[in-house]
Amino acid sequence: MLLNKKGSGARWRVRPDGPDKVTGKLAYLTDMTAPDMLIGRVLRSPHAHARITAIRTEHAAALDGVHAVITHKDVPGLNRFGIAHPDQPVLCEDRVRYVGDAVAAVAADTLEIAEHALRLIEVDYEPLPIVEDAEYALTDEAPQLHPQGNLLHRNGFQRGDIAAGFDSCAHVVEETYYTPRQMHTYMETEGGLFIPGEDGRLTVYSPTQHGFMDRMQLARILAIPQSEIRIVSSPIGGSFGGKDELNVQPYGALLARITKRPVKLHNSRWESVRAGLKRHPMKITMKTGVDDSGRLIAHQVRIIADTGPYATLGAEVLNFAVEHVIGPYRYEHLDVEGFSVYTNNGMSGEFRGFGGNQAIFALEGQFDRLAEKLGMDPWELRLRNMRRSDDPGPFDQPIALTEGAKQVSAAMTSSPLWQERSNPAAKAAQDEPWIRTGIGAAFTMHGAGLGFGIPDPAGGRLTLAADGKIEAVFGYEEFGQGLIASLEQMLIEQFGFASGDIRIVIGDTDIVPESGSTTASRATSMMWKSLQNLRPLFEDAVLGKAADILQLPASRLRFGEGGVYAIEASPEPDNPKCLMTYPALAAACWEPVTSSTQFHFPTSDTQKVGAHFLYTYSAVAVKVEVNQLTGRVRVLHQYHAVAAGPVINPQGFLGQIEGGSSMAIGFALTEDAVMSGGQYLTKNLDTYLVPTIAEHRGTIDVQPIEELPEEDNYGPRGIGEVGSVTLAPAIAAAIYDAVGVRVTKLPIDSELLLAQSFDSFLDKAVSGE
Amino acid sequence: MAANAQGVAEAPFVWHPATAEEAWQLKATLGAEGVFTAGGTLLRTQWESGLAAMPNHLIDIGAIQELHGPRTDSEIGTVCFGAMTTLSEIRTSPLVNASFPLLTEAARSIAAPSIRNLATIGGNVLSIVGDSIPALLVYDPVLHWHDGSSGLEESLSEWLSTAAVHPVWKERLLLSVALTPPTLNSNTKRFVAYHKVGRRDAFTPSVVTAAFSIQLDSDNRLGDVRLALGGGQTIPHRLETVEQFLTGKPADKKTITEVYSMILEHYEPKGDAFVPVSYRKKAAANLIASELWKAAK
Amino acid sequence: MKDSAKSVTPLAASSIPCTINGHEASLNVPPAKRLLHVLRDDLAMTGAKRSCEIGRCGACMVMVDGVPVNSCLTMAYQCSGKSITTIEGVSAQAGGIDPIQRAFLEEGGFQCGYCTPGMIISVKALLDHNPDPTSLEIEEALSGNICRCTGYGGIKRAVQKAIEWRKEAYESESIRD
Repeated sequence: MLLNKKGSGARWRVRPDGPDKVTGKLAYLTDMTAPDMLIGRVLRSPHAHARITAIRTEHAAALDGVHAVITHKDVPGLNRFGIAHPDQPVLCEDRVRYVGDAVAAVAADTLEIAEHALRLIEVDYEPLPIVEDAEYALTDEAPQLHPQGNLLHRNGFQRGDIAAGFDSCAHVVEETYYTPRQMHTYMETEGGLFIPGEDGRLTVYSPTQHGFMDRMQLARILAIPQSEIRIVSSPIGGSFGGKDELNVQPYGALLARITKRPVKLHNSRWESVRAGLKRHPMKITMKTGVDDSGRLIAHQVRIIADTGPYATLGAEVLNFAVEHVIGPYRYEHLDVEGFSVYTNNGMSGEFRGFGGNQAIFALEGQFDRLAEKLGMDPWELRLRNMRRSDDPGPFDQPIALTEGAKQVSAAMTSSPLWQERSNPAAKAAQDEPWIRTGIGAAFTMHGAGLGFGIPDPAGGRLTLAADGKIEAVFGYEEFGQGLIASLEQMLIEQFGFASGDIRIVIGDTDIVPESGSTTASRATSMMWKSLQNLRPLFEDAVLGKAADILQLPASRLRFGEGGVYAIEASPEPDNPKCLMTYPALAAACWEPVTSSTQFHFPTSDTQKVGAHFLYTYSAVAVKVEVNQLTGRVRVLHQYHAVAAGPVINPQGFLGQIEGGSSMAIGFALTEDAVMSGGQYLTKNLDTYLVPTIAEHRGTIDVQPIEELPEEDNYGPRGIGEVGSVTLAPAIAAAIYDAVGVRVTKLPIDSELLLAQSFDSFLDKAVSGE
Repeated sequence: MAANAQGVAEAPFVWHPATAEEAWQLKATLGAEGVFTAGGTLLRTQWESGLAAMPNHLIDIGAIQELHGPRTDSEIGTVCFGAMTTLSEIRTSPLVNASFPLLTEAARSIAAPSIRNLATIGGNVLSIVGDSIPALLVYDPVLHWHDGSSGLEESLSEWLSTAAVHPVWKERLLLSVALTPPTLNSNTKRFVAYHKVGRRDAFTPSVVTAAFSIQLDSDNRLGDVRLALGGGQTIPHRLETVEQFLTGKPADKKTITEVYSMILEHYEPKGDAFVPVSYRKKAAANLIASELWKAAK
Repeated sequence: MKDSAKSVTPLAASSIPCTINGHEASLNVPPAKRLLHVLRDDLAMTGAKRSCEIGRCGACMVMVDGVPVNSCLTMAYQCSGKSITTIEGVSAQAGGIDPIQRAFLEEGGFQCGYCTPGMIISVKALLDHNPDPTSLEIEEALSGNICRCTGYGGIKRAVQKAIEWRKEAYESESIRD
């Protein structure tokens, strides 16, 4: 059944964070102020690559209203940050490597004074030759950006004998694919409020996807114990991976510590563009061969990822891409190699899909091209080579047994949209022969969790608090995805609580346990697993107390709305009686009753770093309209089959697939943070074009497939990313179906889709000669 | 020392002259320090992007009554649009839609409703590359300026031909844009179209903007041909060579093929980092050819 | 300075009379200060959000005399004598929650919520002027409001729901009359 409000019935719930969002009452962290607050601003490099020969801050520091001007000399601890590999300077010492590099920071009474102070800071730069192209970066002649050179990370995977494999192929397709520097474009730009406490502790109110990681990194920069820092990190006005890494936090923390005053920073959009992360632009070359029956024989891939000046998660994104250019298919011979390369372009890093978007666009493109050579239906070719349920994963690693591939494929191919394809009703409109429609499809197996070899902790706790609220405490973040709503829904549906019984506590490192990051489509899975673990513990603890007080066996008690109920032997009466309310029970307990759990995201028994164990599957069909007068593409209808286990929160699930696919429309059709000479040409949303409502005229059908193999106890798989990775290749296939043009580069160049001349339309209905 | 004394940008003074004469006097006095502002939407974009510094004096022309609203002031249907007429007023005016449907369409395609509630026709014209301009060019537009003396009239085309290189007009105050609807001869049918092609379907900077207006008589002959093209940084203009060529020609395949080639040959748009010249030419040729195709059908 | 210019007084920092959410106000701010910053910094009303600051996203949308404008493009002096309605005012006017806001809640027309106040302002301005818009009219009215989370699906459903509810409310009122 398609996912929608009506079909979801009572499971379609109003989000607990909703009322404050629709009324504008919700204070985001960038809406916060504090008495005596100073405004912080960061001076960033105008050059993509330069040596710093001098920094003079005296004039700025002397300006009335300026309370601190800091440079690298004022960083007490490690002057570097980076989640996986800290190589990005907090404040540059002697060299800048991109236009977002921070050189100094200021705290002043007002924004105007802070900005004026930035203009008074004198920095002497000697511009250096820049590295704009990632392939050039790997040559000997390229300037070297780091002591170890320009290669951040290299990864690959080999199986069989690739040369022999190609020798035995009947058909080989070789193609190079290019993907854009996509910007997260969270509506709330980076910012926060940094408050030094009288006790010497620092409280950081700033969005992040992993509070404890920020705390660790900030402690390292400030050279203070982590216990001296409290990170409050939700709510967040969008992130999509972009706020996982530190952004303004080091500056706010340093300025607040130095001035002993609250400091607020909030990036302008232009500062967000220049300093912030983007999706890695990738060049992916693929050579793929089949025998004459369409069986895959050999697949060779070379990935070049432009990771920008510093590491952040560039290596991990590359690992993900290497895994996903192999995907859900069987090959005899494989040879994949990938390079994540430093350049003087903008920072690349984590972004919804995490390298999958690029990999899947290329891989699925190969199938469409091979099918054409074989004269075979493109989906038939995929089915012929699709993984079986007990096959190992892309890296030959053991993975959870799954029917996902088969399930989504069967659903997609029986969808009305895909069926429409076999009905060759006029592809072109009679009255506008230049409008042509086409239908295409693509397929994905997208990994969840951080993968083998990377610490991936999880956990949480439940407490019957002193006031009688059931407190669910997790170290996860709410950036819009509906995490709070999903957690509330699980507590209601699995435990029987009413929403009024529950208090959800997240996003505060002083209170929450380390639950790992809110990334990699992992949080819902980990909350579900936590609650599975916690349920018997919490029942034992709380119902045990109730049993003592009520003088009843605990086995005869259950949680319910408002309090504890008796388990009735016969069918439940219409109005079961609450034996004891939670507040009464809490009062009787004297102290809060807590159960907690700690565990690890399930990983594969492998040695391949980054290899996943759990995957979400999706098959997407899309209908597009191409206007051959203008080359513009309009997405009409989409169908997404998603196999991700049980649907925890129908509204959230639908929203994630719809929202993810919207980002894919941008990735395919409109979005690219264009750079030239290491400078951004798209400085704001007047030239960087994310999809508007007008790009979403069509319908989106979402078909969740909830069945899991019988022994599967991993529960719901993540759906935060999968909606964003499969649509672009499906659009490319649909464009080919419409106008016979193969797309290799995103966003799609409209010029390629223009009619070659007007003559073809002239035969249609024009009178006279 | 006070922060301001060290040069922190002071908030600009804002003047509110009540008459065009006062406004002009202010500008004459303030010189480059003073800038006329109407809706201020384009200025704000320029200030924010660093393309222009915020001036020390803003001369708000919003209080000048004669700059507001459209006025019909002649028997032949000429309508004078005060420079302060907002794009929203144009977008929603039945009068505009009846007499100048291309202008209605143009207003629909410029920015988004919230911006059109502030942005004015005067500001769009004075940007030199505004997307209202191709539509205006179809309607014999005349600009009325206050220049401190008796006032100045010039055709929009004439002004556009030098506006980018001779900014003397920046010392004058644009009062209005006057448009005259084309007259429809008997036994003819008029075909009009306005197209704006961007990199996105809505709220997009223009890549190609085309305005098209022709008459077709009962003998299938084309007359009163008005074609204007613009988009991006291309200064919009009428395609006179193509217009002359089309006048009197039959609406048939041969004509369409020839026009398509002529536009490729004669239209010289500017490219930018996002879209090359080649695309702009081809898309413009396609759009004009398609409208002739529709007329000929 | 010439005589005629002398008679005009410039506003440096003066008092700008306007109405904000039904309350008369006098803004003592520099006249070119943007309404967005007046609301957020001077009046501590943070419902209008800061995002692109050049009118390209709609997160800061407010109504001025009933029509939507980007408060990041509107200078304080342009509010003189005008009636400004912010998201806070929409809620207050409805005595807690407007049917449009309720529709966004029920249909899931938001995720991170940062674009939501601006989006709701645009929907309200649309439906106040055109209670039964076509889908193309909805598209035009919301084309200046970027939502990065939802893909607009929930938003479109919320607008349809709000139209339905407003119609029902109107009809039941008509019956009562």
